Amino acid sequence: MDRPVVGEGIDRVDARVKVSGRATYPTDADLPGLAHAVLVQSTVAAGRLTAVDTTAATAAPGVLAVLTHENAPPLREARDRLGPLPPPPLQSDRIVHHGENVAVVVAETFEQATEAARLVTARYAPSPPVVDIDDPGAEHVRDPFGSDGGTGDVGAALATAPVRVERTYRTAVNTNHPMGPFATVASWEGDKLTVHDSTQGPSNTRIGLAGTLGVPQDDVRVLAPYIGGGFGSGLRTWPHTVLATVAARHVGRPVKLVLTRKQMFTSVGHRPDTRQTVRIGATRDGRITAIDHEAWQTVSIRDVNPEHVTRASLSGYASPNISARDVQVRVNVPSPGSMRAPGDAQGNFALESALDELAYELDLDPLELRLRNYADRHPVTGQQWSSNDLRACYRTGAERFGWSRRDPRPRSMRRGRHLVGYGMAGTSFFFAQFACAARVTVTRDGGAVVASAGMDLGTGTYTVMTQLAAELLGLPVRRVRMVMGDSSLPEAPVAGGSGLTGSMGSAIHAAARNTVRAFLDLVRDDAGSPLRGAAVDDVRVEHGRIVRVDDGRGESYAEILTRHRQDELTAEGSAEAPSEDEPVVPTGPYAAKFAEVHVDADLGVIRVARLVTAAHCGRVLNEKTARGQLVGGTVGGIGMALLEHTVTEPRTGRIANGTFGDYLIAVNADIPDLEVHFVGGPDPTTPNGTKGCGELGIPGTAAAIANAVFHATGTRVRRLPITIEQVL
Amino acid sequence: MDGSAAQARVSPGQRAPAVVRVPVSLRVNGSERRLEVDTRTTLLDALRDGLKLTGTKKGCDQGQCGACTVHVDGRRVLSCLTLAASADGREVRTIEGLEQDGTPHPLQEAFVRHDGLQCGYCTAGQIMSAVALIEEGRAGSDDEIREFMSGNLCRCGAYPNIVAAIREVAGRGDHA
Repeated sequence: MDRPVVGEGIDRVDARVKVSGRATYPTDADLPGLAHAVLVQSTVAAGRLTAVDTTAATAAPGVLAVLTHENAPPLREARDRLGPLPPPPLQSDRIVHHGENVAVVVAETFEQATEAARLVTARYAPSPPVVDIDDPGAEHVRDPFGSDGGTGDVGAALATAPVRVERTYRTAVNTNHPMGPFATVASWEGDKLTVHDSTQGPSNTRIGLAGTLGVPQDDVRVLAPYIGGGFGSGLRTWPHTVLATVAARHVGRPVKLVLTRKQMFTSVGHRPDTRQTVRIGATRDGRITAIDHEAWQTVSIRDVNPEHVTRASLSGYASPNISARDVQVRVNVPSPGSMRAPGDAQGNFALESALDELAYELDLDPLELRLRNYADRHPVTGQQWSSNDLRACYRTGAERFGWSRRDPRPRSMRRGRHLVGYGMAGTSFFFAQFACAARVTVTRDGGAVVASAGMDLGTGTYTVMTQLAAELLGLPVRRVRMVMGDSSLPEAPVAGGSGLTGSMGSAIHAAARNTVRAFLDLVRDDAGSPLRGAAVDDVRVEHGRIVRVDDGRGESYAEILTRHRQDELTAEGSAEAPSEDEPVVPTGPYAAKFAEVHVDADLGVIRVARLVTAAHCGRVLNEKTARGQLVGGTVGGIGMALLEHTVTEPRTGRIANGTFGDYLIAVNADIPDLEVHFVGGPDPTTPNGTKGCGELGIPGTAAAIANAVFHATGTRVRRLPITIEQVL
Repeated sequence: MDGSAAQARVSPGQRAPAVVRVPVSLRVNGSERRLEVDTRTTLLDALRDGLKLTGTKKGCDQGQCGACTVHVDGRRVLSCLTLAASADGREVRTIEGLEQDGTPHPLQEAFVRHDGLQCGYCTAGQIMSAVALIEEGRAGSDDEIREFMSGNLCRCGAYPNIVAAIREVAGRGDHA
């Protein structure tokens, strides 16, 4: 019997090529005459370059070129679809962060380039850097995203609230660290540039590179069929990518530039640290009357970083009085950038920790507090949700976790020498869908090739789009081939904001419909076709055939193409972002998270024993890959909660722990079994009913763990990561 | 601070050493391979750039992530911390050598079935570690698997599925 092709957890369509080592990542690109580039980065965080001595490097064996600000070509300040690019590299003597590019060395081999890079001697006139979020000398940017807002009168409501909490929370700098060091292989043929790049958006990087280099977009092709992860660090067009293209043009040969792991700390963004103050007022019976959230975050001196930390405080709970404000503090650190659930990950920790504190003030179950303050519409705009099954997430999560077994008193539950804590948190994520195009080609053998420039950074996009296209064309999954990760294909947005599934899915929906329409056009006057004269709404697709809904008569794609002597038929389709200003607002996914932690009573060692997530992600296209997204995000959230902390030396601005030995991410032994349950129905905003689930795993995880740590130990930790010394 | 600072990794005027190349003979995935390498070339770069076996990945080049794990004389090693010249005469097995007559290794199949990967970049290292782990008899329990697989980082967070894949193959005993 037929099984639905969408929803089922089929194996990843690209899994076999990955387990065999045959998937080609940017760093695997090999071209005739390939030269190797290595970056030299600054060793001061602020000041000016007084000299860059390249004599020894230039004379070193195999060296083809050394570029510095004194001989690099002029580059333009450009924009891509996401906004302004980071400042272009090697354009002045000004240094604004430690690890800023000061030279790029190109040589015949990687070893020669690495050796020669050591021989570049930069001299600086340094000035004292500002690196601390609390530094009184730092420049502040208020309302940097134009997103400050709220409703009612928070000040008055707080003044009269019978119960109040006011707390300050801090989160550390985290660094994305995909396992694949970012790499660019650039080659010029005349004026045509081809770039293999670790990007989450080939179309977007093409725009960014063309703008920076001052060349037509049509002359630039960006390829990223596979990348070694990104988690947001591949969203922007970074200086090292630009430098690889500049170096290739300079030496007249293809050039490969691969960042070192240390350079991954300074070159492709990070999650900025925050200091957040949350004030909540409530009635004695646990009705929230006021939420006030002010979030301070760091940003680099010369760059922008849209990172809306207080977003969820504006929409999360049914409070009549809300105020949420963001402030950026300019410091001498590398450009930040999106890291999985940017802003939301930090903001949720503060808000959901404060709610837990309020629950204890009220002597009310934290789950019950959230249920009592469920927002059945947007609390600021009054808009209806397109769909919101957060309450079902709470119910299912609590049931699967066994929340009712929790004794609410701190330090009340033990297991041997371990203090046991149960904690929970709720979370939302925003809705995102961007303009996207796709192309469907049905061939005479009855198969289809579906193409879009968007890429799969490991999320499962190849797989879920294959399933979706199969469903929309009435073909078995094995007869559909997705082609992606190439800017010469129909333009697609970045894989970001958990928005690519909705964006590309909507585009494929449109392209599939246009394909059927094109077939019907072909047989419009075809006396031999049972479909003659049918309109697209008169038919459905199944088993490789188009059939009339009324009488079930139809014929296959192959039959039509054969009779009309065509090898293939192609149609394109596109979709735009939905309006946010309707009475019903497009609504992103929700989740409830329940964590059990074990804390060694003597040593303070904290381990997550289990974590249950119940998530409303709309229609789930592939149960296996969607679960992978939630589990993977949760692993990142555990790292954020307990391990990850990019440490910047206050005096020098140098990142002090720039290795995988010192910057701790979760390893296999840190991760227990993680349960994920999908609840709720499809969302009506997109034709495919999806919401996007790529980032939902992170926000809520740290708060659930921190709340569990309080329950276990009686110690409230308001600073991430939670470390042993904070609970002893 | 005296108002100026030099990037003092080498003394000014220092020269790069001349390149020294040495012949190396390796038995890679059952085939005799000869190549000439810079003495500074790691086994990882020799495999990738010299022999075009790019299935093995560079994640950190510092021996801290496990992405470059290969087998040398049947033992798992970090190929980024192994100089190619020091592997002269050794037997090297990489991800490309796991298939036998076109049939994937049971662990490769299990990684597919259990979705033990996302971006796939760490996957070769994970699988090479897992093969050795089972051969070493270190996959007796989930906790043991987690502990002995903790040298292989996965930033996508596929750890629970990696454990499931290894558990299945270790329990089945057909991993030879």
